[in-house]
Amino acid sequence: MLLMSAIISGLGLGSMYGLIALGYHVTYTVSNTVNFSQGSVLMLAAVLGYTFAIRLGWPMPVAVILALLLCALSGLVVERFLVRPFAEKGSNGWLMATVAGGIILDNLVLFTFGKEPRSFPSPLATKPVEIFGAGVYPLQLVIPVVGLAIAIALQQLMQRTRHGKALLAVVQNADAARLMGINVRGAIAGSFAVSALFAGIAGLLIAPLYAVHSDMGTLFGIKAFAVAILGGMTSAWGVMLAGLIFGLAEALITAYFGSIYTQILTFALVIVALALMPNGLLGRAGVKKV
Amino acid sequence: MQTRPIIPIAILLVTLAGLLVAGIAKGYTLFILALVAMTGVVGVGLNVLLGLTGQVSFGHVGFYAIGAYTTGILSLQGVSFWIALPLAGLIGAAVGFLLALPALRVKGPYLAMVTIAFAFIIEHGAVEWRGLTGGSNGLMGILPPSLGGINFGEREMAMLAVLLMGFAFALYHRLSSSAWGLGMRAVRDSEVAAQSLGLNPVTIKVTAFTLSAALTALAGALFSPLMMFIAPSSFPFFQSILFLLAVIIGGAGSVFGPLLGAIVVVGLPELLSDLAEYRLLFFGILLLVVLWAAPRGIIGSIAARFRREDPHVAANDGIDLAAWLKPASALPLVIEGLGISFGGIRAAHGVGFMAEPGKVTAVIGPNGAGKTTVLNMIGGFYKPDQGSIRLEDDLAGKPAFAVSRAGIARTYQTTQLFGDLSVLDNIRIALRRGRLGLLLGRSKADDDSALAEALLAFVGYTGPVARLAGALPHVDRRLVEIARALATQPSVLLLDEPAAGLMRGDKHALSLLLRRIADCGISVILVEHDMALVMGISDHVVVLDAGTPIAAGTPAEVRQNPAVIKAYLGGAEMQGRPRVAPWSGPADAVLATVNLTAGYGAAPVLEKLSIAVKPGEMVALLGANGAGKSSAMRAISGLLRPIEGSVLLKDAELRQQPAHKIAASGLALVPEGRQVFPELSVYDNLLLGAYTRTDLKPEEEVAALLHRFPRLRDRLHNRAGLLSGGEQQMLAVARGMIAKPQVMMLDEPSLGLAPTIINEVFTVLADLRDEGVTILLVDQMAVLALAVADRAYVLESGHVVREGSASELRGDKALEAAYLGHAEN
Amino acid sequence: MFDTTRISRRFVLGTVAALGLLAAAPVQNSAWAQDSIKIGLVAALSGQSAKSGEAITRGLMIAIDEVNAKGGVLGKKLELIRRDDESNPGKGLVAARELVQREKVAVLFGGLDTPVSMAIVPYINAEKVPFMGVWAAGTPITRNGAAENYAFRVSAVDEIVDQALVDYAVAKYKSKTPGMILINNAWGESNEAGLKKALAGSNMKYAGIEKFNDADVDVVPQLTRLKAAGADTLFMVGNVAPSSIVVKSLDRMGWDVPIVSHWGPAGGRFNELAGASAPKVHFIQTFTFSGKLTPKGEQVFAALKKKFPEIKTTADVTPAVGIANAYDGLHLTALAIAKAGTTEGPKVRQGFHAIDKYDGLIKSYFKPFSSDNQDALGPKDYIFTRFVGPEILPLTN
Repeated sequence: MLLMSAIISGLGLGSMYGLIALGYHVTYTVSNTVNFSQGSVLMLAAVLGYTFAIRLGWPMPVAVILALLLCALSGLVVERFLVRPFAEKGSNGWLMATVAGGIILDNLVLFTFGKEPRSFPSPLATKPVEIFGAGVYPLQLVIPVVGLAIAIALQQLMQRTRHGKALLAVVQNADAARLMGINVRGAIAGSFAVSALFAGIAGLLIAPLYAVHSDMGTLFGIKAFAVAILGGMTSAWGVMLAGLIFGLAEALITAYFGSIYTQILTFALVIVALALMPNGLLGRAGVKKV
Repeated sequence: MQTRPIIPIAILLVTLAGLLVAGIAKGYTLFILALVAMTGVVGVGLNVLLGLTGQVSFGHVGFYAIGAYTTGILSLQGVSFWIALPLAGLIGAAVGFLLALPALRVKGPYLAMVTIAFAFIIEHGAVEWRGLTGGSNGLMGILPPSLGGINFGEREMAMLAVLLMGFAFALYHRLSSSAWGLGMRAVRDSEVAAQSLGLNPVTIKVTAFTLSAALTALAGALFSPLMMFIAPSSFPFFQSILFLLAVIIGGAGSVFGPLLGAIVVVGLPELLSDLAEYRLLFFGILLLVVLWAAPRGIIGSIAARFRREDPHVAANDGIDLAAWLKPASALPLVIEGLGISFGGIRAAHGVGFMAEPGKVTAVIGPNGAGKTTVLNMIGGFYKPDQGSIRLEDDLAGKPAFAVSRAGIARTYQTTQLFGDLSVLDNIRIALRRGRLGLLLGRSKADDDSALAEALLAFVGYTGPVARLAGALPHVDRRLVEIARALATQPSVLLLDEPAAGLMRGDKHALSLLLRRIADCGISVILVEHDMALVMGISDHVVVLDAGTPIAAGTPAEVRQNPAVIKAYLGGAEMQGRPRVAPWSGPADAVLATVNLTAGYGAAPVLEKLSIAVKPGEMVALLGANGAGKSSAMRAISGLLRPIEGSVLLKDAELRQQPAHKIAASGLALVPEGRQVFPELSVYDNLLLGAYTRTDLKPEEEVAALLHRFPRLRDRLHNRAGLLSGGEQQMLAVARGMIAKPQVMMLDEPSLGLAPTIINEVFTVLADLRDEGVTILLVDQMAVLALAVADRAYVLESGHVVREGSASELRGDKALEAAYLGHAEN
Repeated sequence: MFDTTRISRRFVLGTVAALGLLAAAPVQNSAWAQDSIKIGLVAALSGQSAKSGEAITRGLMIAIDEVNAKGGVLGKKLELIRRDDESNPGKGLVAARELVQREKVAVLFGGLDTPVSMAIVPYINAEKVPFMGVWAAGTPITRNGAAENYAFRVSAVDEIVDQALVDYAVAKYKSKTPGMILINNAWGESNEAGLKKALAGSNMKYAGIEKFNDADVDVVPQLTRLKAAGADTLFMVGNVAPSSIVVKSLDRMGWDVPIVSHWGPAGGRFNELAGASAPKVHFIQTFTFSGKLTPKGEQVFAALKKKFPEIKTTADVTPAVGIANAYDGLHLTALAIAKAGTTEGPKVRQGFHAIDKYDGLIKSYFKPFSSDNQDALGPKDYIFTRFVGPEILPLTN
């Protein structure tokens, strides 16, 4: 009972972390930069979805699609104004700029959306179903499916399609990719849009399980970053796998050692894991030549 | 170069100014002053990490908390603050040291994550270890220290913080100009090269991390008596970001950057405090403004504007370098039975030779023969599976820094200078031979500088010694790298293709230099493709093929060895096949530049360059190194922007076009250094070449290319990064061809290739030419280029100085002597 | 090296000038004459606890408007000056210093976070400036051991609340081995101590203590441990959103266990967040705008609706305790200053002790403060309530 419910909880949490972490994976792979305000984008999706669907009463599909489109747009804005001006000069200012962007977004939402947590009801998160004696909301089963589907789709797109390979080419040698006629700036901007889209999907999926408010994304963003790193950044599979491991570790540590040890032990595990596998679970070191 | 005591005086003045303010200000201002000073100290600590070793930490609030809790807990136990303060620094250092061990196995974002995890562990540890830390509700009633009967109030605490800040500045200044500081920056710029100078990157990085942690903990130690209350929520993760921000905004790597940053990070929120709940919003916006306005930090951005270079040139001030360079013991380097395999493939096997002091020993062989592999085993970057490398002791399998300390120095195929260090500092750090002395020991600056200058003069470097190594032209990089290797006073000097990319005149100077080095009693081991150079200066030649030695002897013996001729030279002279009948075609250019001008900064690399290529024609761009040939190719293809003047492809203006659009409009550049996509298969590389085409028939066209490049057939589904240099060049040419471009441009296709491979490449180019492909070619091998080309331009300082048919230029002896390398054999 | 030396010279001049300005600023500031009495507030105005700061601000503003409409205090208008502490004790202390030393506030109000108040209290005791806590319930804020105590409070006190929670669980549910599910912060920790003390006083054991975090989405593992340990009732301490996660997790587990809670659920739309099971939670309260209001309640609610158009129903005035505590706290403060006849701290402190009677929003206060009890609310002022729809309704045993 204890074990089963911990495993179910852990997998649910873990696939959520993995899903958000995929967003870091995409931009890092293409441009070696990440949007540190990923957690804020997650929050943005939930807030927009709530505003459109509940406050304005628009049909759910319209609300979801519009919220996701706006998230993708926010990814483009982040890339254009917070990342590109720095990355193109070889400065790591993008790191701070995206953090600042997150602060600004969080606070803008705080003053426009309101300071009160709201509930984003979903038919998939009202009646629990029982699996192996543990109760879960159907939505908690949807999340891993969506996460895995996105990871698979991503992998396939990168490995099999012309545009996917073009992205890989940008990753490996941007100048040479330009010479092949590949729009590198476009590819990088696109990766930020996709990354924000993933965060948005995660936000809309998490919102009904949690509550919608301006601060909801912060810790998710950090934990997902840990997961992305643990998975090796450059491998979509690794990132999803690391998400599951991280979620399981949290739930199992809570179940068997007690909740006061959860954060300390999971983060200690991150350090140990990285010390043993400096490139993450499935990450590969760059080709090293002397 | 003399160091003027401006910075120490500035540190003194800033500290005195801080003390003055602390003396006259009142409560709240004092408090802010103390916070600025403490943040400044943390900033200095982070600067050691970020500015000197190039590592980012998001976890420094953890060390800050450790310092604060140390003094907090101890003072509640009645321990004197003056004992607790140094103890806080020590505990911080110890934790930093422990964290550095796993942290420094990882890099970039992985390191960032380890430090984030550390900060969280400390925060949650403080919450849960209630017996010690008071848990979430924290520790209260922490008393301020007293000294000599004076109970410290805010004023005294502020003064203490200012003094600590002054101390931190002085420490940083001392460190950054010390041998350790140089070593840290060297490790940051090139870990590989640092190792081969005897620097141990692990020791250096752990030291930097430990020092950084200690400073941060010391600053934190002042936090608890100042606040008189601490709780885990006093040290939120966000604070780590603010610390890092202080360094980045101020300017990483400068002494006072952290102070400016601390003023912004502490002062700005205070200025905005009236905004109440909107404070963070405006803080975020202002941060962005500062970041946009000064992306390299405030000091960095100002410094970039005022940068000027000391024109001082190296001179030997009466130092007898030959005597200094003479190795103490004249032992030969003896290599026996050396072998290594990578993933089951034998890269080298049974390699043995002896390199005698005072002699030049050359290791030659066709591409992929394992020459660089052998060099890497000797240099300690690869661990051989079997065999011995004996100088005094057996060095086989020792790490690079140990090999270096044993007296073996090396240079690299692509130079590995410390780009952000001056030329002089590149040499000075090498002079330490890995012995950095005491952490803050006075560097023997004047001694070192004189010796370093003498070495630079010895190798023939004539540029300013203060120039950043990253800004040097190619020839100078080679020379400085050799000088740097010599600075370790080696018994053995390994050179990996030192002549690659050099012009004839430079090569001549290089061969004289190598001779002089050998004459000092050093064993010189040379891996080189340029046979004229090798045969001209070597005393002993070892020939490798497919990882095993096939011949050894004097140049004359080797040259006549049939096995060598067959394996290496393939019996063929290196030569290009000219057109059977002279070219004739339409007179209207398909590709033209009109007054093309481009430059990096002030000095233009291209000045009013006007060239034209007609349909079906093959045109060569010739000229000495740095004449602007490659820049012209990059400017035409769109990689180099902005440009002035015109680039016209079929009368369409390309000046404003980005590279990918130019490629799509029918201009294919096969770039210098191949630049294949290493992680993609050969097949995928080829398909990407046709990225902009919509009418591609993949099977057919790839089959046709494989027919032309049979070497690629077996490798079709291998990763391109695993291909040999020659195969990569074939792939790069094929990748250009599949685009079916209007004009195909090739930048240095022969660079770094063995003669037989060069012949193969040029045969393909001649075929393409005969099939009617329009080609613009840049190649170092001018005779070869002129053999296949119809017409050529000679460039000097970025503009055309001569133009004519290939046959005219071929006959122009004076020109040849001045600019052209021979296709010698 | 050369360029940096050039920079440093300019830089030194700049720094000296900047530091000089910083030093000169307060002198200039304090030279201004005060034509109003300044009331300071240091609270969480941004971040996850921003709602608490907003509620306190609203309560204070309504009360200040009332006082000023009647001509102010000592013939001067009251003026509110707010600072954001970002829930960080360090920031809170800096803000408190700024308000006291530069703005010369007469009384300083505190916000939600106990550690922030704990950081400020020693300072205001040293500076002799009265502090009015209107939210943070940590026991030692007012019971800080200072000989001359300047910390007052119109809010719950964790120790008293915890005793009430234990009594309620025993009386209502015949609880024998309760479990605790507590938010992992200072508030949770303070109540852990309080609950343990109260349980020990009743000679009771507890099944276990589990912590959860603000960002947790699933606390099933913690609850499963408590269930396995045999908990028959749960004491819950947490803000509204995480509390609703506890309830949802219980739903998923299918564990129907009585929940006796601190006032967290009252801090927002608990009924909306926790769904159908929201009414199962019985929580302690000092004030609610729901149900039948006193005339004073009607009056304040009307004023709130007028001043803040976004308030339409009683469900919009959350957390009611924050508003009510701040409202009463401000009126009591105004009375204290009036009694003192000056804004000097020690006199105002005595003014607080001298307050005789005040008909407030929460209750009618009679001699609310004395030198050995500076908490205006006592054990009798707590009631147990639960959500019925969006309304918070009192429970009667």
